Amino acid sequence: MISLARLNSNTFMSNWRWIRLLAVIAVGSLIVSCKKEQVEPYKKWGFSKPDYFPEPVYNFDNNKQTFQKFTLGRELFYDPFLSSDGTVSCASCHANSHAFAGHNTALSPGVNNLLGTRNSPSIANMAWSPSFMWDGGINHIEVMPIAPLTNPVEMNETLANIIAKLQQSEKYKKLFKEAYGTEDVTDQRVLKALTQYMMMIVSNNSKYDQVKHGEATFTDAEQQGYELFQQKCSQCHTEPLFTDYSFRNNGLDQSFSDGGRFLITQNENDKGKFKVPSLRNVALTYPYMHDGRYYTLNDVLNHYATGVQHSSTLDPLLENGIPLPGNEKTLLIAFLNTLSDYHLMTDFWLAEPKH
Amino acid sequence: MKNTFKLGFIALALSAIAACKKDKIEPTDSATLGTDNVVLKIEHTWQDSLEFQLNTDLVNPLTGDSLNFTTFKYYISNIRLKKADGSWWTQPNSYFLLDLSAQGTTPSMQLTGVPYGEYTEVEYVLGVDSTRNVSGAQDGALSPSLGMFWSWNSGYIMLKAEGISPNASMGGSFAFHLGGFSGVNNVVTKKSHTFVGNSLSVSGNGHCQIHLEAAPQTLWQTVGSVSGNSMIHMPGSGAKTMSDDFFGSFEFEHIHE
Repeated sequence: MISLARLNSNTFMSNWRWIRLLAVIAVGSLIVSCKKEQVEPYKKWGFSKPDYFPEPVYNFDNNKQTFQKFTLGRELFYDPFLSSDGTVSCASCHANSHAFAGHNTALSPGVNNLLGTRNSPSIANMAWSPSFMWDGGINHIEVMPIAPLTNPVEMNETLANIIAKLQQSEKYKKLFKEAYGTEDVTDQRVLKALTQYMMMIVSNNSKYDQVKHGEATFTDAEQQGYELFQQKCSQCHTEPLFTDYSFRNNGLDQSFSDGGRFLITQNENDKGKFKVPSLRNVALTYPYMHDGRYYTLNDVLNHYATGVQHSSTLDPLLENGIPLPGNEKTLLIAFLNTLSDYHLMTDFWLAEPKH
Repeated sequence: MKNTFKLGFIALALSAIAACKKDKIEPTDSATLGTDNVVLKIEHTWQDSLEFQLNTDLVNPLTGDSLNFTTFKYYISNIRLKKADGSWWTQPNSYFLLDLSAQGTTPSMQLTGVPYGEYTEVEYVLGVDSTRNVSGAQDGALSPSLGMFWSWNSGYIMLKAEGISPNASMGGSFAFHLGGFSGVNNVVTKKSHTFVGNSLSVSGNGHCQIHLEAAPQTLWQTVGSVSGNSMIHMPGSGAKTMSDDFFGSFEFEHIHE
């Protein structure tokens, strides 16, 4: 069988030839799979829910999945052309090489190296997220990209300009025609294509997942860490997505320079609350917290063990912190390392397209 | 496998027959005789008798503020017409952004395909219904590229009133972006007006119009002068009060055929 690596290396192959080749491979793999079971077929393209994951929040009813829309979305995701000065793409702050989080900096630079106020989180498994951003202000993945595209300290562009730029691009004329049947560029088409790409960023191939499937076993330390995690962390970082998507004040400060969820709800009880982040790929996506203040997992665990600050909105579960005596921190970190998904970071389909 | 194909074939054939039959017995009552377009117009007035104008110094009789509007736009959606028999005609995909700087101060909405008949009432929603606020990327009048969508706190800006005023607390300008589609700060308002004993006869002459009237000055009826507050850019009690007052000013004016 032709390997994906070989496809990847052919930089001059046009998209159409590529799709035709895929069809050949698909037919080929069908024949192969009929003939002998032991040949592993290449990864099937298209969203599929891992069997032990809950039902996703996003459904494709109003955005039917096609390879062409996904391809367009991927092209847009990696294209700095969308930003006002052509320097920042979605991938600048959500890099596949960093499990789709920022480049391990507390804040990520936008156009003119401007900085925002919050850490760029991983955007893996967004199909399951009921809200977006640290404060949950965005209610639907399709409108999520509008915020970074138009934010003056991120990509700093207007939707109208993005549409105008794309309409003048021969490359995008072709891609929009392939995806939607006509060359017309609308913000809805842009946003739905970006969504098709983002929905495919599914992290479900860490050692933790392999253990769930019976394909690997935890070491003793990982197993003990897992048991500790279930006792002390999983109330908020609920398996298998490792977040319950709630908003909580985890005791970082006594007063809040960033109101968090309060900025959206205007409810005093929400001051200093932020969304519980998923811990998938946590070892790879440092630094931590909404402002990226902690650079190591040890710092984070020290915070929960001895550093929790009291305030009126502190989460009741953290009233006394989370005591982690003896080697519990070491064991927890051993477990957290099993949530790293190296397949996600090297996935051919999700990587920057080569032309 | 073979059986499945056979079954599928039979089902297809049956449905084709059913469809053919249905076509024959389609009722031909008067409602399906024809359709026409109806125009819904909103006249914007100032001080009850003057025409509202942009880029003009206007004095708000309610607050004494001098206001010069550069932008005035808002959403109307979900337009329905009530027939004399009590049934409703609902316009499909009914969303309009009334932009007074582009469309003048008596903007029109085309209601296309209204079935012939007698109509006695119009119903509409001021703002965009909550469903469209939570359903992802929209297009047409609801395209976020029109600058009426909050990117950081998802939802439509239902009404935008901007301009300059020597009275404004914020450096001589004012900007009111009013929205909010849920809970106590929901500004989305359903309105209806009967044609006060008359009926609009839609019969194909192409001239049917419904005229309403609205008074932008009422935005400040409760909140008072722009010297107190000249900017709103998120859902909240201020946005709720201002939109309630303005939306309360919508009145039926007249119909013509």
